[in-house]
Amino acid sequence: MIAALFYLLIQSSRNRLVTRFKRLKKPKYLFGALAGGLYFYFYFFRFLFQSGRQNSAHPAALSVLPPDLLGLMESLGALALFVIVVLAWLIPHDRAALTFSEAEVAFLFPAPVSRRTLVHFKLLRSQLRIFISAIFLTLLTRRFGGNPWTHAFGWWLILSTLDLHFLASSFARTLLLDHGISNRLRRLAVFALVGGGAGLVWLWAKKTLPPMTSADTVNATAFFNYAQQLLVAGPAEYLLYPFRLLVAPFFAADTGIFFTALAPALLLFLLHYCWVIFSDVAFEEASIEASQKLATKVEAVRAGNWQAAGKPPKAKRGWFQLQPVGPAATALLWKNLIGVGQIFSARLGIILIIVLAAFFGGLGSSANAKNLSVVAGIATAALLGYSLLIGPQLLRLDFRQDLPMADILKTFPLRGWQIALGEILAPAAVLAGFQWVLLLIGCALIFFLPGKHEGLMLAIGLGAAMLLPVLDFLLLIIPNAAVLLFPSWVQTGKDSPRGIEAIGQRMIFAVGQLVVMLLALVPAALAFAAVYFPLKFALGPVVPIPFAALAAALIIAAEGYLGVMLLGRWFERFDVTEEPAS
Amino acid sequence: MVQVEGLTKLYGDFTAVNELSFSIQPGEVVGLVGPNGAGKTTTLRCLAGIIPPSRGTVRVCGHDLATNAIEAKKQLAFLTDEPRLFDYLTVWQHLNFVARIYQVADYETIGATLLDELELANKKDSLPGELSRGMKQKLVIACGLLHSPKVIYFDEPLTGLDPYGIRRMKDSILKRARDGAAIIISSHLLHLVEEICTRLLILKNGQKIADGTMAEVTRKFSEQSGDASLEEIFFRATGDARAPLPPPVLPLEPK
Repeated sequence: MIAALFYLLIQSSRNRLVTRFKRLKKPKYLFGALAGGLYFYFYFFRFLFQSGRQNSAHPAALSVLPPDLLGLMESLGALALFVIVVLAWLIPHDRAALTFSEAEVAFLFPAPVSRRTLVHFKLLRSQLRIFISAIFLTLLTRRFGGNPWTHAFGWWLILSTLDLHFLASSFARTLLLDHGISNRLRRLAVFALVGGGAGLVWLWAKKTLPPMTSADTVNATAFFNYAQQLLVAGPAEYLLYPFRLLVAPFFAADTGIFFTALAPALLLFLLHYCWVIFSDVAFEEASIEASQKLATKVEAVRAGNWQAAGKPPKAKRGWFQLQPVGPAATALLWKNLIGVGQIFSARLGIILIIVLAAFFGGLGSSANAKNLSVVAGIATAALLGYSLLIGPQLLRLDFRQDLPMADILKTFPLRGWQIALGEILAPAAVLAGFQWVLLLIGCALIFFLPGKHEGLMLAIGLGAAMLLPVLDFLLLIIPNAAVLLFPSWVQTGKDSPRGIEAIGQRMIFAVGQLVVMLLALVPAALAFAAVYFPLKFALGPVVPIPFAALAAALIIAAEGYLGVMLLGRWFERFDVTEEPAS
Repeated sequence: MVQVEGLTKLYGDFTAVNELSFSIQPGEVVGLVGPNGAGKTTTLRCLAGIIPPSRGTVRVCGHDLATNAIEAKKQLAFLTDEPRLFDYLTVWQHLNFVARIYQVADYETIGATLLDELELANKKDSLPGELSRGMKQKLVIACGLLHSPKVIYFDEPLTGLDPYGIRRMKDSILKRARDGAAIIISSHLLHLVEEICTRLLILKNGQKIADGTMAEVTRKFSEQSGDASLEEIFFRATGDARAPLPPPVLPLEPK
């Protein structure tokens, strides 16, 4: 029977690979593959071919690390594994479910296949993923030196054992539930055990180790020394022992140490394997449910609806009352804002207000208010900058979400520009609102800043408040235009591509978007300069800023107007049957 | 209500619909049938303004779909077989949204009546994810009928409906036709077409094979008798003349 499952795995993987190679005939995938390949070469593989130079260039290589630091890294690795395992026992609440596709459920569950064979199939399939992950993690950590083979095997061992542990813990969770031990009780027990362990470590540290001074907390060497002593001796040594065994092959400084560390780690792996295989837990029902959920998610993602792939949406009220008569584009804005409501809730808003109030309250009473406000000001400005770059990518409640519904949109008695305007307004409004909040925070911080720059900062804030909404609007036109012009290059629609070529496609698209954005900003920058410099002579350097920003905003708004008209025309010409988005 | 002249849709070298011409009068229910790949859905999509025809013209209530698309689309409703809904909008929000798109001032009264008629009144605050497939289909119908369209296209209207829903859907289609709407139904369910359509349009390989009332089409494709069923007519019209017809299905004998 397992031979048939092997056949299924190998043929599916082979066919997937062949399909990917075949599609390289199309230029969009070929160029994508080239760009993605170059990225992977420069980021990962280059180090493989420069191993001789690389070790000397990277003093942090494992083979040349001082034993103390290597021991600390090993302890930290063990601690990370400990945390992951504790979370695996704390967070999940579902019964054991092996994730199968709907086709696998349909074919395998009614077939004369034993439960143990199904578990083996699931483990075999996981191995494909684990092998690929181990290779990539090795390439990533290879940059820091060490033997690539021991690294790769170390990663494989860690990932495989964790995979088995997740499965085994889900089986154990189900058995506990079957015996009347609720999730709450289990969590309490885990909390008690972890709390007890942490208490023991704390007590031991208090008795044995010299207390940390405030100077130690800012001294990295002292801090790491303390952490090292805490983790390698006393109760922590025993608590982390199995985890240390598992990470030891990865951190082995040479081949000899690796083989010495391998036996106990393999034993752990085998114990986990036996635990999984000999657990007799009914997982079929929960697996069918999980496979249906997975299928729904995959369907949502293939339909370009990434939000729906997350947790199920909740019914939300509109942000405003939509009257039945009026500009039709408002209907699309109203609809998309309801979608935004899935992410930003009133509760989140209240939490943000409380956090901000607490921050400013603390800032007011702090003796170090000036330094803190400088840090907060820099963070706010950075966030503002990032919002311009990342915001239009994250807020996809526009054509990128609705393109799979293009045939429905096309039946609406609306002009293309009306649909384009309605689609872009919601993400632009949300982004501008977020940026205005940041600007308000920035303005509030001015009063804590050293020096007398209130006028300059307020002028910049005012200028930014005028510029940002139109800039957001313009920036959102670019990805929306890309979706309409190159639907298969942007992640929306059916069967979003995967693999190196897809990464390359995204990189080419991102560079293209950056170039278009910079070109679109040139006229606005010229308008800004044309207004600012003449006024500067008459009014000084501060007052002209809002006026120059207004001029730039008008230019960007004009570009936005043209962009929406163009986008509308492209939407009207967009043939929903022309090119599938894969 | 609908005038189609020389409608042609090409995908590269492939001709999906070829020189299709016909017209539909108010109150007519036209059955659009044909084997898979005959061009039915492409035809409906061209008639709804979703995809542009490569050649030919489509006029809806006198408005050319190419040059006066907005006025033409105001009179149209296209109800697809697969319910396509917005995940975040509730049943009532869908109606509100569609009302604004089509400028239906009294949508609250019409919407409430439609929801009652389609037995969705108690689901008005539910999201599409909370509805069964049949209910989603009903919501699509409610949205499509909200602006009282004069021309309605149905693509496989009975998919996903239970026997009660099927009965109501048939009644609803006939009621709209009696009220003067021009209706096209694309379906593989020949008994549905036979039951409610007043006219038949048979497509094969993108070309019109037959266009006329049931009696006219029956006469055209009946070899000896004029009382052949639509199923037999369909096979005769769309089958390869040299190929044998699929054998009739024999009923099970009681044990």
